[in-house]
Amino acid sequence: MNIKRIIAVVNKERKEIVRDKLFFSLAFILPVMLMILFGYGLSFDVENIPFAIIDRDHTNLSRDYAYHFISSRYFDFKGYSPDERELDPLLAENRLRAFIIIPEHFQKDIMHNRQASIQTIIDGTYPSRADITRGYVSAINNAFSMELLCGYLSRLKGIPVEQARAILQPVRLEVRFLYNQSVKSIWSVAPKLLMAILLMTPPFLTALGVVREKESGSILNIYASTLSRSEFLIGKLMPYVAISVFNGFVLFLMARFLYGAPFKGDLLFFAMVTVLYVICTTGIGLVVSTFARTQIAAIIVTSILTIVPAALYSGVLIPISSLSKGAQIEAHLMPAMYYTNIVLGSFLKGTGITVLWMDVVVLAVYAFILFTTGYLLFTKRPRT
Amino acid sequence: MMKLFDDHTVLLRGYVWCRQISVLTHKELFQLFRDTLLLFFVFYAFTGNIYLAGSGISLQLNKAATVVHDDDNSLASRELMHRFRPPYFHLHGEIANTKEGIRLLDLGEEMILLDIPPRFQESMLKGELTGVQMQVDTTNSVLGTLAAGYGEQIVGRFGLDSGLARMGLSPESLNAVPNLREEHRILFNPNQDNSWFMTITELLNMITLFAIMLPAAAMAREKEKGTIEQLLVSPLTPFQIMISKVLATMIVILVGTMLSLFGVLQFIFHVPMRGSLPLLFAVTVLYIFTTTGIGLFIATITRNLAQVGLLTLMIFAPMVFLSGAWTPPEALIWWIRLLMKLSPLHYFLDVGLGILLKGGGLMALWEPILGMTIIGGVVFTFGLWRFRRQFD
Repeated sequence: MNIKRIIAVVNKERKEIVRDKLFFSLAFILPVMLMILFGYGLSFDVENIPFAIIDRDHTNLSRDYAYHFISSRYFDFKGYSPDERELDPLLAENRLRAFIIIPEHFQKDIMHNRQASIQTIIDGTYPSRADITRGYVSAINNAFSMELLCGYLSRLKGIPVEQARAILQPVRLEVRFLYNQSVKSIWSVAPKLLMAILLMTPPFLTALGVVREKESGSILNIYASTLSRSEFLIGKLMPYVAISVFNGFVLFLMARFLYGAPFKGDLLFFAMVTVLYVICTTGIGLVVSTFARTQIAAIIVTSILTIVPAALYSGVLIPISSLSKGAQIEAHLMPAMYYTNIVLGSFLKGTGITVLWMDVVVLAVYAFILFTTGYLLFTKRPRT
Repeated sequence: MMKLFDDHTVLLRGYVWCRQISVLTHKELFQLFRDTLLLFFVFYAFTGNIYLAGSGISLQLNKAATVVHDDDNSLASRELMHRFRPPYFHLHGEIANTKEGIRLLDLGEEMILLDIPPRFQESMLKGELTGVQMQVDTTNSVLGTLAAGYGEQIVGRFGLDSGLARMGLSPESLNAVPNLREEHRILFNPNQDNSWFMTITELLNMITLFAIMLPAAAMAREKEKGTIEQLLVSPLTPFQIMISKVLATMIVILVGTMLSLFGVLQFIFHVPMRGSLPLLFAVTVLYIFTTTGIGLFIATITRNLAQVGLLTLMIFAPMVFLSGAWTPPEALIWWIRLLMKLSPLHYFLDVGLGILLKGGGLMALWEPILGMTIIGGVVFTFGLWRFRRQFD
């Protein structure tokens, strides 16, 4: 291996990239733009759920009950309606996500110490949204139910309401949200976006860079030159790794200062692992480039191989432990999951190499395998 | 006589014009089919990829890994912890101290740590207020919120049951005291089958990806290789060159869509098809047609495929994330909501889910269809205008 020749390839590639102004600027704009859009657009908080109420009782108690929902910040009250048949189409047209039916004799039942049933109809098209909506409805119902019970018990036994409450609610659950005290989605999402974007962009840049030479035929110059395979690959990939490492740094600053995500870990450790991860994802691009002949194929293969796993199997949307068995295997095969552990550890949990060393090892092995595969598959004597 | 002759030429011209387009479309299809790797991945995108998206992906709380630190070791504490059971929770056992639990949470091996204090049962029997601590890993905030919600329900119910028991009332006696009973009805997807939603959104994403990329890439390739010069000196208009690329794209995507819809969605995941399939295909054709406008626009400002790749990603990724599939529009800040209104995929998703799951027809869905048509129309006209102008 000859350093001088590598530098020559690096220079050639650098000039080519810099001279293509659109490509060069997009290589830097793309990650930043994705970070901004996803950061603000990927809020998982479910709030202002549009809903309606059918009040068949029209009493003070039913209005009081309805008010619990109307005043909640999780719900956006769209009005009372007399009839279910009027609301069903609204649900189908996405104007409502839920409605609540207060039955006839609601007040009478409660006054006569009977159970009253409340029906909630929820749009289940988006399953996770339906789950959260149901959770909110239950919380309000339980609180209202508890008020009724406490009132009843205090009347029955002639004790103050407070004492009745202590009897019926002897245990309180104190929830502590770890790693993200205020449960603001954006905090926990921002570090993971760093992972997802660094999985999506480097393979793209790399695969296109190599396949472009194949398609335009300029690779023949390389085949005919004295450059060895490894010299060519190292020189060729270096500028792309450099661009992506720089992007990683910018994304880190954005996560830290634009989104205010806390960074509790060791900066040096994190920086080094990030470089390793970028090398890994660049390697994915390298492998794709060895068997894609056209750039269209390279674009499509990389986007399918990286975007889907970045979203689904990396732990961004769902923790790995909640995945099904098959998907878990899939997740373990992707480098994203290991880097996610490191990102979350470094940002939110403040853990370091002592806990995360295994993930680092896996990433290193991953990079090694990808580059070996790329090296073996790349040949200066192509079969045609 | 003269008049008839004129009519004839018009007819002939029309025929030649259509023939030219059909020949060009053939050429585009040939080019696509000769790239086997590309073809394989188009196939994969509409089958294997959608299968993966539909299987085992869920944003619901599913057997959240739970450990307990029980300082009381009483009947009550054991009863409480065993109420944390599937489908929402999965009890992995007890641990000796809280620190060990926090370590497991740090490692990401467990999601929830339940901490039951000493004298838990005793305080309950005495009627003193006691607290149970629940530490939740909220690195995924949806699941964190859900876990807290379910946890509160379980503990509330446990407290109520034991309170009633001490008052000499059985849990069944709730029928005879004033309280609420809840009934939830989940419409359109009663079993909360996540694969329905996932496969439909993934299919629509793939349609979008190819509708943008294929025409843009085909155009950029002609430019890169210089074959565009041949087309320009031929008796073809820019409109014909463009429309044939759009048609080829349309054919490939429609075949993929059918494969996916019947082969994967219906056959494997049993996604219901409650609405009219002709309407769905009509809307899909309209959507592909208008979305290729974005591809044509990309084609006009790029010179090589590398640029096409980056620009496609830059437009496609935000479209997917802003489609409303992952985030309800109501919860977002206004400028993102505005951007969502501009994404044709947002409307297409409403229509697709509306037809398949909700069984909606033209009457119920005219609004998103109209929105899609207007935005798509503007995009397509703009793409066409730019495309023509670059040849002047």
